[in-house]
Amino acid sequence: MVRFLAAAVGTVAFALIFDVPYRYYFLCALIGGAGFWATEALMGLGLTATEATFIATLLVALSSRICAVWRRCPVTVFLVSGIIPLVPGAGVYWTAYYLVMGDTSEALTRGFAALRAAIAIVLGIVLVLEIPNRLFHWSRKRP
Amino acid sequence: MEYSTDEVLEVAFDAGYILLESGAEIFRVEETMQRISRYFGVDDAHKDFFVLANGLFATGITDRGHFARVRQSRVQGARLSRVVAINQLSRRIEQGQYTLPEVKRELERIRSIPEPPALLQILAAGFGSGAFCLMFGGGWTDAAASFLAGLLLYVFVVFVSAPHMSKISGNLLGGAIVTLASVALWSAGIGRSMSHIIIGGIIPLVPGLAFTNGIRDIADGDYISGAVRLLDALLVFLCIAVGVGAVFTVYRHITGGVPL
Repeated sequence: MVRFLAAAVGTVAFALIFDVPYRYYFLCALIGGAGFWATEALMGLGLTATEATFIATLLVALSSRICAVWRRCPVTVFLVSGIIPLVPGAGVYWTAYYLVMGDTSEALTRGFAALRAAIAIVLGIVLVLEIPNRLFHWSRKRP
Repeated sequence: MEYSTDEVLEVAFDAGYILLESGAEIFRVEETMQRISRYFGVDDAHKDFFVLANGLFATGITDRGHFARVRQSRVQGARLSRVVAINQLSRRIEQGQYTLPEVKRELERIRSIPEPPALLQILAAGFGSGAFCLMFGGGWTDAAASFLAGLLLYVFVVFVSAPHMSKISGNLLGGAIVTLASVALWSAGIGRSMSHIIIGGIIPLVPGLAFTNGIRDIADGDYISGAVRLLDALLVFLCIAVGVGAVFTVYRHITGGVPL
């Protein structure tokens, strides 16, 4: 729970740095927190980090698109902030750490893990963006 | 009311330029320019737009000859509030709520939407660092140290690296500053796990917008711009890692090892 809140707070901090308008902060926080929580929960179920990141990305991207249609604003607003907790920032750190420590094999393991997570995010975002726009408009009143 | 092709293309170009500068995807820039010019009566046969991540090109055929504009754009920080504002503007234009001079004025207003104040950005970076430190499994004291490291980092970003430095040296030094601050805080007894302090601290440097937009551009088929943005993100990641690694190397020579 603490970590879910931490992910939500971190997402809002990024939303501010990206200059997202204030009125979208709450949704950004929910999406970012949910994405992180999903990764943890899926890994708890025995999925690998890459698989968990992929599915969490699907969740983040889908909810970002739904919110974008609902609040009539660019999907970027939610997607960029919500994806941040999934970006392998820690992986980059560990790669540098083990490289300096001279443990090349561990550095490679960490580096490739970060790369796999990045590819999982790419695939997740691309897949959700390919869903045709009209499928997201079922809930909206036609003008 | 009829407008001249020059006027319309000028306004469409300005809207596109603000979007590009503020961190919008390529397809959104193109689409907005198309929508504005179409609504004000310039059909596809009389204009062409070409948008790249770092430049905007527009040509048109007017009554008096030709319209042509080219403008370079540097990849800058995210200003999503402008993207949101122009998105709303373009929707309202299509609903017929604006005349061309009104659009011009509105664009002027959007261009002058201020950045979030520096103090707020610095605080956000601090809280972001602390929160991500907790998220990655750090303890509360680690998070407090991360918070301080994040604050210091963003003071550097807002006042030194963003206005005066290239991306490469800015991120290299940023990574180094976070690591130095974390080593100092850890040595002073604040926080238990140095790694978690540093991980939290470097998070505000992570190029989230360039990464996400790069993916989106490639998914839309804008390969050149997508590649440029992904390269930008990759470079930033590498620079952070090198900055952290450099400080570690020195630290290791002085003390004989780096604590976890």
